Amino acid sequence: MIAVDIRKLTVKFGEFTAVDQVSLSVRKGEIFGFLGANGAGKTTTIRVLCGLLVPTSGHVRVAGYAPEDGLEKIKTRVGYMSQRFTLYDDLTVAENLKFSGSLRGIVGRKLEQRIEELLEFVGFSRATGAFVKDLPGGIKQQVSLAASILHDPEIVFLDEPTSGVTPGARERFWKLIRELAGKGKTVFVTTHYMDEAEHCERIALMKDGKIIALDSPGGLKASTFRTPLLEILPSRKMAEGSWLPQLRAHPAVESIEPYGMRYHLVISDPARLGEVKAQIPPSFEISQTAPSLEDVFIRLVEAGFIK
Amino acid sequence: MKWQMKWSRIIAVLRKEVFHILRDPFTLALALALPLILVLVFGLAIEFNIRELRMAVHDGDRTYQSRGLTEVLGSSGYFKLTNEVSPVAAMGALEGERAKAALIIEKNFGKQLGSEQVARAQVLLDGSDNSTVGLILGYLNGVQKIAEHKFLPEVASSNLEIRTKYLFNGELNSRWFTVPGLLAIVIAILSILLTSLTIAREWENGSMELLLSTPIRPLEIVIGKLVPYLVLGLGAATFVYLLARLGFGVPFRGSHFVLIPGVLLFITAYLTQGLLISVITRRQQLAMQLSMMTGLLPSILLSGFIFPIENMPPFFQVFTSILPAKWFIQISRGTFLSGSGFAELATPFLALFVLNGVLIMLATKNFKKDLEP
Repeated sequence: MIAVDIRKLTVKFGEFTAVDQVSLSVRKGEIFGFLGANGAGKTTTIRVLCGLLVPTSGHVRVAGYAPEDGLEKIKTRVGYMSQRFTLYDDLTVAENLKFSGSLRGIVGRKLEQRIEELLEFVGFSRATGAFVKDLPGGIKQQVSLAASILHDPEIVFLDEPTSGVTPGARERFWKLIRELAGKGKTVFVTTHYMDEAEHCERIALMKDGKIIALDSPGGLKASTFRTPLLEILPSRKMAEGSWLPQLRAHPAVESIEPYGMRYHLVISDPARLGEVKAQIPPSFEISQTAPSLEDVFIRLVEAGFIK
Repeated sequence: MKWQMKWSRIIAVLRKEVFHILRDPFTLALALALPLILVLVFGLAIEFNIRELRMAVHDGDRTYQSRGLTEVLGSSGYFKLTNEVSPVAAMGALEGERAKAALIIEKNFGKQLGSEQVARAQVLLDGSDNSTVGLILGYLNGVQKIAEHKFLPEVASSNLEIRTKYLFNGELNSRWFTVPGLLAIVIAILSILLTSLTIAREWENGSMELLLSTPIRPLEIVIGKLVPYLVLGLGAATFVYLLARLGFGVPFRGSHFVLIPGVLLFITAYLTQGLLISVITRRQQLAMQLSMMTGLLPSILLSGFIFPIENMPPFFQVFTSILPAKWFIQISRGTFLSGSGFAELATPFLALFVLNGVLIMLATKNFKKDLEP
C-alpha cells in the first residue's frame, strides 16, 4: 500500500525553485529518510505533504488524498513535528498536549487516556505539571513527538527531530521511530546526521531541490562505490601531507577526501591498487573499508559525483 | 477549502492565550500598570491649566467701560494684572518676561463701545512660549464673551456656540478634557501592541506552523487569540472610566449606549491594526516598533489628545482622519462632557466604521495570502 506518492512535484517561491520535479513514493509502514544540506528542499517537500503549502505543479497524494480533496483531509491523517521546537515554553507538558489534542478535536476522558498512553510510549517519566522550559532538549523532543501523534496519524513527518539533543537521546528517539513503524505508521524523517540515516529503509538524497539518489542505505553505498575505498590513517600524531598532491594526480586515484585525521581514497582501477599503495609513505596505515553514508553523501552531494 | 468553524478549537486557543497572559509578567504589568501610570501622569502631573498668568495692562482710556474690561479679566482667575503707565512699558514687561501677555486699551475704547462702533483692545502675547499662547487665546475668547455679556447682553445671548462651550467645561478644566482622551491612549496601547506581539510570537518561535498543521482554521486562531485582548482592553477602558468619574470627578453627561459601541469599534480597529502589523512583520521586535510608530505615537500626538487638530497645518488636519484615535477621542469627549448622542457624533462613528472596514480588509487579505495555502 502506498502512503505517500509524489509525481513531478515542483514548488517555486517567486523565481526561486525550492523543489524541482521531485517524484517518489513511500509504502505504508516504511521509514523513509530525507537527506540533504540546508536549503536542499527537504522541509519544503514535507510542508507540501503536510498540507501547509500548495505545490506550484505536480501531483501529490498523501494517505490516499490529494490537496485538491481538501487540506483538512490530509491534515487529520498526518502528524507533523517541525524542525523548530514548537511546544509552548510557558505551558506545562499536560497543557501543551491538551492544547494539541483539542485542536485535533480530541477531548475529555479520551484525550486524557491518549496523553497518558503516549507519554508512556515516549518514555516520559516526569511530572506532567512541569513547565516545558524546564525540560532538557531530549525530553522536549519526546513530548513534541507525543504531541504530533496524539490523533493517531497514519503518516508521521519528522523534520530534523534530533537536532541539538544528546547522542543517548537520539538513540532513544530512533527506537521510538522504529516502534512507530512497527505499528504500521509510515515515518518520514529528515536529518543531518549520517549515522541516523542508516536506520532508514530508504533514503532520498536532495540537492538544489532535486533528488539525486534514492535507494536503501546499502544500495546507495554499493552504487556510489563500485571500486574499493581505502582508509589512510596516520600512525604518528603529526603526519606530513606532502605526498597528497602527487597521489591525487595519480591516474588510478579517483578522489581523496579528508576525514578528520584520516583520508578516504577511492581507486578507479582496482588492478592498480598495489601501485597506489606504494605511493603512500610508510608512516600511514592503509586498510580497505566499507563506505559509510557519510562517504556517499560527500561523494554525491559535495563532490558532485555523477554515476 | 471550507469546513465548519469549531468553537472547541477557538476555546482551546483562547485558553492557551489566557495562560500566556497570566504567566507573562510583561503583558500583565503592561495591562494593569500602564493605564494607572498614564492616568496619573496625564491626569495629575501634567497640568494644562494655567492660573494667575501675569498680564501687563495699560489702560489708556480710563473710563467705566475700560475698567469693566480689566475687572472681567482680573476676576476670571486666569490672569494676574499689573498696571503699566504706557503702551511701551507694557511691551517692556512682555519683552523682559515679567509678563506672558500685555493688554493695551486705547483712548477711545469706552466711547466706541457706547456709539455701537467696534471697540478695540489690543492683546500682545509672547509667541515664543506657544504652549501657553493657545491656552491664553482660549481664555481670552471666554473673557471676551463675558465682557460682551456685561456690556452688550443681547449679543452674547445670541451666540449659541460659545454658550455651549461654557456649559460643558465651564471652568475650562483641562483634566476633564484630558482624562476622557486617555481612554483612547490606553486602548491603543493594549490593543495594537499586545495583539501584534502575540501573533508575531507564534511566527517567531515556529508554533504558527504547528497550529496550521492541525485542522484549525486561520480565522479560528485569530478569534481565539484576539478575544482575551479584547477583554483586557475593555477591562482597562472600564478602569480608566471609573478613575475619570470617581477619581477626577469628570462628569458623564452622555449615554453609555453611545460610548460603549464607540469603545468596541475603536478596540476592533486597533486589534485589527495590530493583527495587520504582526502578519506583515512576523517578528516581535519589529512588531513592537511598528505598533509604537503607527499606533501609540500618533494616538498621543496627532489625535487631538494633547495638540488640538484645529491648530495643525492643513495637511495634518486631513491626515489625522486616518487615525481611529482622532475619532474615538471625539466620541469620548462628546459623551463625557457634552452629552452628545449618535446624531452629534455621526461623523466620528461613520469614520470609525470606514476605518474598521479598510483595516479588516487589509488584514484579511494579507493574512489569507500568508496562511491559507
